[in-house]
Amino acid sequence: MSSFFFYIFAIILVLASLAVVLARNPLYNVLSLVVVIFALSSLFMILEAFFVGIILSLVYAGAVLVFFLFVVMCLNLSTPTLTTVQQNRFQLLGWLAGLMLLAEFFLATKAFLAAQAMQPVSEIRGTIEAIGKILFADYLLPFELTSLLLLIAIFGIVSLAKGALKTQ
Amino acid sequence: MIGLGHYILLSGILFSIGVVGVITSRSVLKILLSLELLLAASNLSFVAFSKFNGDYTGQLIVFFVILVAAAEVAIGLAIVVLMFRHFSTIQADELKDMKW
Repeated sequence: MSSFFFYIFAIILVLASLAVVLARNPLYNVLSLVVVIFALSSLFMILEAFFVGIILSLVYAGAVLVFFLFVVMCLNLSTPTLTTVQQNRFQLLGWLAGLMLLAEFFLATKAFLAAQAMQPVSEIRGTIEAIGKILFADYLLPFELTSLLLLIAIFGIVSLAKGALKTQ
Repeated sequence: MIGLGHYILLSGILFSIGVVGVITSRSVLKILLSLELLLAASNLSFVAFSKFNGDYTGQLIVFFVILVAAAEVAIGLAIVVLMFRHFSTIQADELKDMKW
């Protein structure tokens, strides 16, 4: 049963991520990334990483992608000049690099015999309790440092916005 | 039966699609979206390794990656908005000035 759901969500994930790269309209790119995030979150649920899956869909689909949508609508990017097909010099190079990377991943996964023997550990259930215990015991310093990082990000955005106001 | 290899391969496919997006797209917004795909691929392999290896550390790293990605996206989009105001385009290869 869980393998059935794995394949369903894996197919949704790959198709939606192709749509992120290939769709011409920037609005569709952002909306397909929402689908990618929800499929990924479902895969996390299959892996019993409940807390991280919920955080992923809340933070990404709820905040980050709304921010993306806000910027797309604010910039009014669906004007035809910006979405017309324009040949990129790196088109061929990019696809070649992607295919080579994919082949490399495929061969590496094939050769990774230790991974094929590994079985899921049933005691690992990423509930809030289990994650919180480790987060606030072993990883307290990195956790506090991320709050500093977010503060610095706020300072950066405010100073960028202030500079833009001054030049106008 | 779904093993670790399936998850790693899926994450590899996702990562390759993200790399193609970063190299081929011209708009800065799409490059940022493809970067999110790369982060999502690495998150998937972290969680898969955490489940199959019997260690919660992978899930904690995913938590930190999500936090850092949120900060990165906020700053990146602020820069995109400024860029659009200044150059009235967000095509990456039309930016030729080193300084404005």
